Amino acid sequence: MRRLGLPLIAVLLVAAVLGVQVAAGGGNYVPRQPANPCVPRPIPPIQPQLEPLAEQIVLLGLNSAACRLGISRERLVLALADTRSLNRRAPAALKAGLRDAVDRLNRAGRLPKVSQLLPQALNQAALPGIVKTIIDAIPAPLVDSALPTAPLLRRTIDDLDVARLLHELNDPRQLNSAVQSAILHAALRQILDRLHP
Amino acid sequence: MSSDRIERPTRPPGGRTGAVAALSLAVAVVLGDSGVVTLALPEILRDFGAGVGEVAWVLIAFNLVLAVVAVPAARVCVRGDPAAVTTVGLIGFALATTVCAVAPSLGVLIAARAIQAAGGAIVIVGSLELLVEATGRERAGARRWAAAGVAGAALGPVTGGLLTWAFSWRSIFVVQIPVVLLVLPTAIALRGRVVRDRGNLDTSPDRPHVLANLALALLSAALTAALLLLVLLLVDGWRNSPAVTAVAVTAVPVAALGAGPLFRSMRAGTRSEAVAGSVLIAGGLTGLALLPGAELAWTIAPQLLVGLGLGLSVDSLTAAALRDRVPRALHGGWTISARHAGVVVGLAILTPIFTADLRHAETPAKEAIASLVLDAPLPASTKLELADRLGHRLVAERGRVPDLRPAFKTLRVPATQEHAVAALELALEDQLKRAATSAFRTSFLVAAGLALLALLPALALSERSRS
Repeated sequence: MRRLGLPLIAVLLVAAVLGVQVAAGGGNYVPRQPANPCVPRPIPPIQPQLEPLAEQIVLLGLNSAACRLGISRERLVLALADTRSLNRRAPAALKAGLRDAVDRLNRAGRLPKVSQLLPQALNQAALPGIVKTIIDAIPAPLVDSALPTAPLLRRTIDDLDVARLLHELNDPRQLNSAVQSAILHAALRQILDRLHP
Repeated sequence: MSSDRIERPTRPPGGRTGAVAALSLAVAVVLGDSGVVTLALPEILRDFGAGVGEVAWVLIAFNLVLAVVAVPAARVCVRGDPAAVTTVGLIGFALATTVCAVAPSLGVLIAARAIQAAGGAIVIVGSLELLVEATGRERAGARRWAAAGVAGAALGPVTGGLLTWAFSWRSIFVVQIPVVLLVLPTAIALRGRVVRDRGNLDTSPDRPHVLANLALALLSAALTAALLLLVLLLVDGWRNSPAVTAVAVTAVPVAALGAGPLFRSMRAGTRSEAVAGSVLIAGGLTGLALLPGAELAWTIAPQLLVGLGLGLSVDSLTAAALRDRVPRALHGGWTISARHAGVVVGLAILTPIFTADLRHAETPAKEAIASLVLDAPLPASTKLELADRLGHRLVAERGRVPDLRPAFKTLRVPATQEHAVAALELALEDQLKRAATSAFRTSFLVAAGLALLALLPALALSERSRS
């Protein structure tokens, strides 16, 4: 018994320590696992401003694109940082993902009206002061009927050269200018379409 | 082996306290050197601008040479005067230690460490003979020798860590020089005192105790993992300073030194002690593989298990390997050779595993970081700037657990965002700690497996009570 006593004490001590550790979550102390991109994420409230809207479209778009590519949203983001490792289908998937995001926000009624975004957009746009004043004077209901948000955003996304944009991710100024120009062109085309149905 | 061939000391029991203390110190210093640089490796790496694989040779070279030279050194010791041989070993060890302290390059440091180990091997086996002579009792001398070795091995990394923190890695070697020279007069004074029975020299030596030495080798491999991996996890993975780490890992030597007083009164016997020790070491290593958080407190209980196991098993197995076997120095040499061969094998098995696991941990860690940054309650412009800075940190520290603090230090955000940025920084640190901790898991489990393997030879040992 004396000879069994010491190994028995050792086993009990080990069992006690491991028991406490496992009960406290030992073995599950691992990095956060990426969520399944095909499971829709809840949409948080969006302020009627350009940056929060663009961020939500990009976040939801990344999720949808990752789902289409069969990888996690995080893996896609890391691949975007190194375009050499990017899947050839990624630009098309991103474009489709951004369109999905606009559709989802539209269905959820979370897209702000263009008139709400206009003051900020005009502030940032490189337009002559007189043009800005004229646009600003247009009544909001007229702006919103001429430029419904969802079609404007879809048209903008269709105009974007995603493959080129991916190479300009490290240059925020160029990226901004490309997106602004796409929005402007989309808005002009949408207005022209309205004038010449 | 036969009891009539046992080498008896020439002095009557009673011994010389000063000589026993000095020789024990020499044994502890030399065996402490086996892992003394563990906590200094990151600083050595920075000083010489070398890679982890190259710097690991500062550890490997010492243990490899000690393993190879211990038995031939013991044969020389058996044929000559142990005091004279020990004196030569001490001088060689002190000279090589001086070169280590002033080494201008990593190559010189590694070469000096190899010579230091050769001198150390001679000191270790010679000290066994001298300790028996100085204590005046066969068993007491051997036990003192084994206990000094356990104390040295357990305290080495802690001492090295504190010295590195207080001064520099070179101070680890500087302080050893006077300590070793202090033992020199003792060795010289014992010249000609060890008188051998010629009959023992003329007959063939007893065969080494294969089971005890095999168990020692396996446990040493596991213990190396416990100390080396734990130190790497605490310093590189959890970003603790060498000083904090040194204090944290004192749990192992404290428990190792306390194991004797705690359990020896049970007089359980060699086999029971070796089995219990193996179970405790395997359990402690499994505990380190299953840490529930990155707080130092979680490592204490597993460390105490490892320390208790170390104190119980290494001492007990060494005594079993030496008991009733002649020549004593040769069998002492076998135990040293087995232990340090175990250390080298442990390093050889575990280094590739944990370096590969660290590499594989990179992707989940990056994904966790990306996920947290994407979902952070911050404006997109702040996220983009932060992502750019974090990307640079990850590239700059590729192959290591990155330090993300510089990315946040110079980030200028409005006061309304400061709280969210601070929370994000904490969350990212937590993810990195999680990734590092889980990257070490397999290595700790493999080391626990090595300790469990030691149960096989331990169970086959003959049960003898320690008197």
